[in-house]
Amino acid sequence: MQGIRTFIFLLGLILLSSFAVAQQNETRPPSILLTTQTDYEVGNAVVLEFTASEGEKPLLYCSNSYGSTLVEALLKNNVIQYKIPENITKKTGVVLWKLLQEKESVSGQFNLNPKAEVATIETYIGPPSIEAGETDYTMLVVIPTDSLDNPVPTNTKVNAKFQFLASEEKEAIFTKNLIAYKNIYSKRKSGRMLVSSESLGVNSKEFTIQVWAAIPTDFKISAKRPHNYADGNQVTTFATSVIKDKQDNVVSDGTFVTFFITTENGNILKTTGTTIKGIATSKMIHPDFKDTWNIKAYIDGMAESDTITLNYQSVIDDFDIAFTNKNRKILVGPLQSFMKQMIPDGLQVKLLIYKNNTLVDTITKTSFNGYVTFNLKPAVYQNGNYNFRVETAGIAKTFNNKKLW
Amino acid sequence: MKETSNKYLITAILLGLAFHGSSIFFTLETTYDALIHLFFADHYANSWFEPWNYEWYTGFTVQSYPPLVHQSIALLSMIGGLKFGMFSVALIAIVLFVTGAYRFSLLITGNKTVAGYACVLAVFSSSFIETLHIFGQLPSIVGVSVLMHALPEIYLWLKTGKKWYLATSLSLIAVTVTSHHVTPIFGMVFFIFPLIGMVIMDVSREQVNTMKEVTFKIFLNTFFKLFKRILSFGMLSLVLIVGCIFPYWLNSKANPITQVPIPHGSRDNFLEITSSGLVFFLIPWGILLVLLPYIFYRYYSKRYLFFGLSVTICTILGTGGTTPIPLKMLGETAFNILTLDRFTLWASILSIPLMGEFAYRFTEGDLKARIQSKFGAVYHRIIGGILAGLMVFMVVFTMSLNYFRPSQPQKIKMLPIVNFLNQDDHDKWRFLTLGFGDQMAWLSAQTNAMTVDGNYHSARRLPELTTRPIERLENSKFKGVAGIGSLQQFLTTPEKYNLKYIFSNDKFYDPILYFCGWQRLRQLENGIMVWERLNIPPVSSILPKEDVAKWLKIHWGIMPFLTVLIAFILNIQMLWVNMLKTRIKSTPDFLKFPTKYHKFNRNVLRITHIWSLFLAIVVCYGIYLFYLKNDSQRSPENAIIAYYDALDFKEFEKAHSLIDPENQLPIAQYMLEISVTDGLLSSYAKMDAIATEITTHNDSTVSAKVTTQWITPLEKIEKIDYKSLSKRKGKWYLQPDDLNNDLPPDQLYANNATKYFNQGRRRITTEQTHHEDILKQPVLEVISAKLVQYDGSYAIIGEVQNIDNVPADVILKGTLYNDDNKELATYNAKYHVKHKLMPKESTSFRINFEGIAWSRTQDSIPDTFNPDEFTPVAFEEQPTKFNLQVAGNVSGSDLYKNVVLSAIDIKEETINGNLFNSGIQEITIPQLLITYYDTNKNMVWVDHLFVKEGVRQQRKQDFEYRILKNGQVKIINTNMDNIFVNGLPNDAIAGKIVPNRIENHSDAQLQKIDHPDFSYIKIEINTYIGSPN
Repeated sequence: MQGIRTFIFLLGLILLSSFAVAQQNETRPPSILLTTQTDYEVGNAVVLEFTASEGEKPLLYCSNSYGSTLVEALLKNNVIQYKIPENITKKTGVVLWKLLQEKESVSGQFNLNPKAEVATIETYIGPPSIEAGETDYTMLVVIPTDSLDNPVPTNTKVNAKFQFLASEEKEAIFTKNLIAYKNIYSKRKSGRMLVSSESLGVNSKEFTIQVWAAIPTDFKISAKRPHNYADGNQVTTFATSVIKDKQDNVVSDGTFVTFFITTENGNILKTTGTTIKGIATSKMIHPDFKDTWNIKAYIDGMAESDTITLNYQSVIDDFDIAFTNKNRKILVGPLQSFMKQMIPDGLQVKLLIYKNNTLVDTITKTSFNGYVTFNLKPAVYQNGNYNFRVETAGIAKTFNNKKLW
Repeated sequence: MKETSNKYLITAILLGLAFHGSSIFFTLETTYDALIHLFFADHYANSWFEPWNYEWYTGFTVQSYPPLVHQSIALLSMIGGLKFGMFSVALIAIVLFVTGAYRFSLLITGNKTVAGYACVLAVFSSSFIETLHIFGQLPSIVGVSVLMHALPEIYLWLKTGKKWYLATSLSLIAVTVTSHHVTPIFGMVFFIFPLIGMVIMDVSREQVNTMKEVTFKIFLNTFFKLFKRILSFGMLSLVLIVGCIFPYWLNSKANPITQVPIPHGSRDNFLEITSSGLVFFLIPWGILLVLLPYIFYRYYSKRYLFFGLSVTICTILGTGGTTPIPLKMLGETAFNILTLDRFTLWASILSIPLMGEFAYRFTEGDLKARIQSKFGAVYHRIIGGILAGLMVFMVVFTMSLNYFRPSQPQKIKMLPIVNFLNQDDHDKWRFLTLGFGDQMAWLSAQTNAMTVDGNYHSARRLPELTTRPIERLENSKFKGVAGIGSLQQFLTTPEKYNLKYIFSNDKFYDPILYFCGWQRLRQLENGIMVWERLNIPPVSSILPKEDVAKWLKIHWGIMPFLTVLIAFILNIQMLWVNMLKTRIKSTPDFLKFPTKYHKFNRNVLRITHIWSLFLAIVVCYGIYLFYLKNDSQRSPENAIIAYYDALDFKEFEKAHSLIDPENQLPIAQYMLEISVTDGLLSSYAKMDAIATEITTHNDSTVSAKVTTQWITPLEKIEKIDYKSLSKRKGKWYLQPDDLNNDLPPDQLYANNATKYFNQGRRRITTEQTHHEDILKQPVLEVISAKLVQYDGSYAIIGEVQNIDNVPADVILKGTLYNDDNKELATYNAKYHVKHKLMPKESTSFRINFEGIAWSRTQDSIPDTFNPDEFTPVAFEEQPTKFNLQVAGNVSGSDLYKNVVLSAIDIKEETINGNLFNSGIQEITIPQLLITYYDTNKNMVWVDHLFVKEGVRQQRKQDFEYRILKNGQVKIINTNMDNIFVNGLPNDAIAGKIVPNRIENHSDAQLQKIDHPDFSYIKIEINTYIGSPN
């Protein structure tokens, strides 16, 4: 029994002594920050020094806006040093740190301030095309940065430079919240604006802004034609005056203009053109019968032209029709034009065939060398009496009770 | 007794390797299936254990097809590339087939010489040639070959009960399962069941003295005696069939095939569709057709009775839709999923031993003796010559079928396409091929880019595809309206699938691409045209996939080769013994039942004669019918059909030969007249049907009304022509049509136009978006938009204008909502819009909501496919609100605007007019957009007309448009609040550029019409230029 008691006593002593050791640890003084500097220029080495406590080397936790890391201590002459890693000191902003001791952890912060130098200039501009007229604008955003890619201090001066037509301008803007920006309003003229920026002697590259003309205004139209006959073959060309916007800029190339043609019987024909140097041209084939055209051009919802009137005279006053071969061969022609010349090939001639006053068939052929021939096959058109109507160039001729046999 | 090598077998193997081995290099790549297997192999080569494949159908699992052949190709591809792997596996398949045919024949006939004959003939079996060289079904060949190897082992197990044979037979069954799933399942029925019957017969036979004494009672007793072995084999092979490709069955259960039946030639009525009859009946049967009476006679003898039943069933099932029996036997579902040609293949393989037997008896056996004694030696030789000649003819004919009737387009050089996809991040979008045939699988195997299409339709899951009876989008023109309709849906809403690039090998599809808003990018050096669509987002970097458990992946990756390995180890010993004759082994049991060839049955010979005569008459009659149908000038109908066929296939010389020679129209002139007509009908149409109606008749002159149906990429066209024909010297000729004599005014003329070029990336850089090089999206303004209902279907109509200073590509996307703001449908404007607008140009538009646009499509897609026909059924699905998203992008292409409406004539029901082409490009397809207005000049509907003929430069082209009849349009919503241009509100952005818009500006220029429901119309013209120059 004696032995056991002694054993328990000894065990108790050992236990107690272990507590004593723990207590001793707790009472050890915490490390204290020795470094007093709290503002550094970015990129410089930052070393935090602490008093050492009995050879302990706690880790230093530090974090900035990029992220967090742990730094190992370096013991030197009873001072522990923490060299803040480069990836943290290269970035401007606040760095928070905390010494990871078991109790009474020490913490603090220091600032990394931007350098007053510009190494690169990041520039953004958009939209790349705007409209003339002093209301539309594009935005220039300049971000000067130092050699470590940090934004420069607030209120760093940036010179925005513009070239437009004859003018070259320069305007100072200042960085705020990391960037400097400017809304560039268009002028009254259209053209090409070149933009660049400069800060602390460093220049950006060149940017281009296209200033387009604004929406078109009303314009005039004209027509040109080789003759005023309705021969169904020649081409009339319509053209607009130079179409401009309200600031007198010529509208951009490719602007779409629609020419509406109202014919004598109220039908609407249509031809379109796109502008080159403000003039849109458009072509229309002549009608093949006498007609009067009223022409007006539109740029939908924005502008319109005056109305012009064109008259087309009939080229054919009359033509002959000959029935041969048991009335089964119908020769139409000669179809002669205004100078008694044979009409150009392709004039449409319609033959309407009626039996017992009902339309049996319509045959459309085009003229060749001034004539059109219709052959009525016995297999198709049986013997009997037919009425025929021939239509061409706005003229119609009727033959009643022709007998096919 | 020392065994001698079977010289026939060695001959057969050498012949097979020499003949098939050398010809596969010219045939295999143009077969239907080989390249699909190559694509699967490429998948395994890149990711052996990962079954999910992203490249086809927006993702599918390769666990939908047994992997052994694919994995073998993949493994061999590590040595010499994919094609090396494929050809190596094909060579192995050839050897397996020849040796398999030998062992199967030996098993059946019990005579080595006969088996030798059989395997030599099997090399030239037309069904094998067709399966390998035309269909390219490698897994199927490997499967059935290994099955043939398994049959003797099964026989021996059942007969002797030695466990060794059970192991070998099961090991071979396992290999069969992993190479092809259908083969072992049906193989059980058609090969193994009859074999079991034969074993029982043989065992019964041993108990009595002659075959005649085997009664049903003895048979039944033997069956019960062997029942344990049969059952154990059956159960174990069932376990293997399920176990070896367990992931496959699991996947089939998880993703049941929802595909609607896709028509297949083997299900046709072979008498009606003779081409199917040729490919799926005549060719696979080949010479065996002559031997049919002999085959049935022999297989219906007592020992082979069950094989007789099996061959009969296979034969009948192989006739497809010719008789209603296959449909009744298989049931609707199986009939529509299975391709029935495989039954004919099995029937022909079952017949191989008897073909050998016949040949043996004919060349050196009792048949020779009988024929010579009855008809003389000369007759025997002649018959022999005819049979051999027929055989050679079938071989040559089958091998050259692909040469005369290519099933695939010309071989396409893939490298330029692969390079295109690799450059400039083009593989960040999905692509689609058109007119590539099965070569699309080869393209997919070579690139990482993904396509919405695919070539294994059982695996696809997109409802847009599974609800359509089409194989692939890329050959949709062969599937009529359903095919073109499905393609149009993908082309209209490509952003849904991140589909940006289309490689077109067939200009047939060009018009639909253009009118769906696509633009030509450039032609690659292999002649493939690349089309692109603007405003498509790239494929997201994380894509959904259906994952399976890891053990399934490992099972799938390891099991196939494990089965091969086990089969190899178990059977290799036998192989060596068999091949090298290293030691004398006991004769296998099946050799104990040889047939005695002493007296050829007289009746069989007689019936074979009669049958051959019958076949000869049928063939001659067929040829006569063929001649009648193709003698183009026998009747006016024939002449018309021949003429239209010739035009359809652009055989102008043949067409000219059908023109009345009395007109003295020289071919040069004829060609000139034909060649000047371009347009939808003459350049982009495929004739679908033709009907002629002879209206007037006398002996030598006929006038005919010809109604033709044409499938064009845009719509189905019915055309009615009136032709007159004359009979000259007993032949019918067509009279030529009149020419349009329209003479353009100018020989040479000038045209100024503004052209645009977008540099794209100005600097050579791989940086994704260089912000300086990004152009501003052109500002568009939606002038009006409304939701309307017309004729039961909903549409958003309106007018949009490009108010910017640069030309714009316009994409309109409409979404419909009900009163509870529930999204019902979303779709893009298809061809009721001018997709390319010059600055300040405007266009009317209409967005249709086709079947797939609706969220609840599955239950409401009509059975007969018509993309335009769709009406939501449920009341809560009625749309009341809409949202319109308009996107503009700068585009410099397809901006031809020089087309003029030069004459118009309004009648009660029709509008006739002329289009005049005032520019310097030939217009291939003019399109009219006709907008209808009510009395107050409110827009109510937009319609379109594709003019069938093109317009040449400075020429006129007339058109006829039928005014819509029932015109009651219900306007549902005109609220324009939810309209966005490039993501910004329409009102705000338009107000900045056009603050003082002249409302209803050109209303004064609307065309008045006389109609109860509509008062005005507006005609706009859009043009497709087929070959810009």
